[in-house]
Amino acid sequence: MSDNLSSRLPRVCVVLFLLCATAMAAGAGEIKLEAQLIWGTTNSVSPNPNHKPAQKDVERKLQEQPFKWKHYFEVNRVTLTVPDGEQKGAPVSKSCSIQVKNLGGQKVEVTLIGKGKETGKITQALPKGELLVVGGNAENATAWFVVLKQAE
Amino acid sequence: MTDKDHSSADDKSLVRAAQKGDMGAFEELVARHRDKIYARAYSMMRNEEEAIDLSQEAWVKAWQRLKQFQGESSFGTWMTRIVINLCLDQLRRHKRQRAESIEAMDEESGGVERHMPVVTVNPTEGLERIELRQRIDQALSQLSEAHRTAIVLCEFEGMEYKEIAKAMECSIGTVMSRLFYARRKMAALLSDLKKPE
Amino acid sequence: MKQELQLKLQAYLDGELPDGEARPVAGLLAQDAEARALLAELKNTRAALAGFEADIKLPESREFYWSKIEREIERQSAMIEPERKFASPFASFRRILAPVCAIAILVIVGLVAIRQVDFSDRRGLEVKAEFVDGGALTYRDHTQGLTLVWLPYPAESEAALTDTDDIL
Repeated sequence: MSDNLSSRLPRVCVVLFLLCATAMAAGAGEIKLEAQLIWGTTNSVSPNPNHKPAQKDVERKLQEQPFKWKHYFEVNRVTLTVPDGEQKGAPVSKSCSIQVKNLGGQKVEVTLIGKGKETGKITQALPKGELLVVGGNAENATAWFVVLKQAE
Repeated sequence: MTDKDHSSADDKSLVRAAQKGDMGAFEELVARHRDKIYARAYSMMRNEEEAIDLSQEAWVKAWQRLKQFQGESSFGTWMTRIVINLCLDQLRRHKRQRAESIEAMDEESGGVERHMPVVTVNPTEGLERIELRQRIDQALSQLSEAHRTAIVLCEFEGMEYKEIAKAMECSIGTVMSRLFYARRKMAALLSDLKKPE
Repeated sequence: MKQELQLKLQAYLDGELPDGEARPVAGLLAQDAEARALLAELKNTRAALAGFEADIKLPESREFYWSKIEREIERQSAMIEPERKFASPFASFRRILAPVCAIAILVIVGLVAIRQVDFSDRRGLEVKAEFVDGGALTYRDHTQGLTLVWLPYPAESEAALTDTDDIL
């Protein structure tokens, strides 16, 4: 058995190396992101019938946070595909939009724009499965969140 | 527990035994609830083979998750939720594989059902149970998956609108529209289906 | 009849209307024949569907149906069950150690050569947040894989996304 293994080993290593190289080359370049506008509330029903329940994984992660809001509704969702080194923007709501710059290596710079003015800028790595959540208070003790993640 | 004990035991005792690894107890639970679970899968999928496969998958999943079942609902209710979720996943896969039908697009814009004439005759009047079941069977098959799912979850599972919205991953408004369309279409189909001589 | 009213009638039938909305609908039903006819149709459909599933029977025998479930449960249990067939744990470990190390070295060399990975950024998932009004709070939940940037502005703030016309 050990003879077979040692004769096959160099070929296995080469195949693995080539697979890694291909995967890394394919990973370089554009990043596809999803931005969701989420409304957080203590009510189990939203007054707006157009609201959808938040995606299960997003809802679960928000519920795990030390917030008083236990119910989350998706108000809007946009997708952005940003090539490496470039910047793309999208409206998240009537008065808010985001600009995303792809800094390479799954790192992004996210600019929040509210009512035409730049509100803030966040720079961080956003690998698959990670969420970047920006949030704030809204009226009637509710909250808004912009959830940014790599699209599935 | 012996086989004789299994057949005379209630669901709670069978679940407790199955949670400790008693396959015989689990088999008894399957025997008791298999028709109901299959019926729910069949109502949603309208395909016998698919319904059998999904119902069996539900039983396998139930065995794996049995320790998580704490008796917060009846075992039958817990099981139907498992099979419903599997059917919903399968329907989503169907949807990804083909384009939306014109009927589905029409339903989303909320047009047709508003203008259907009201059916004043009770469609169940004078029908034998078997004949009524056949009519409903035919009528359900003629609904789109989205409409049928809404009506199954509401009428058969007794879910509230917000639960249906969560299960179908849509808004409550969409649930209400789909349900309304489905019910009106069913009424029209049941009254239109030819009575035998 | 407007669609909004039709859907309200349906919600009334389904017990989904709060009391405040149900009373006016009940009042309308007393006066409007069209509304009563529609409600009757919805009720008839409900009555027709009641008990429909009770007559549906699984078209397979108990034993055959169960045998497939049992087989699948056993197959999945066998996959989870770890291999326990080592003659000597140390001998097995030595046999796989050299090839695993070689593969690991090649993978790391490949990663570094092609991507020139900045380990400091990846490891820390460092967040840099700059806000116009200042005071943004950053919080990282490693377990959930979530970074939260909280803007503790009042809801009335012009600069913040708090216009709930947007949301509600």
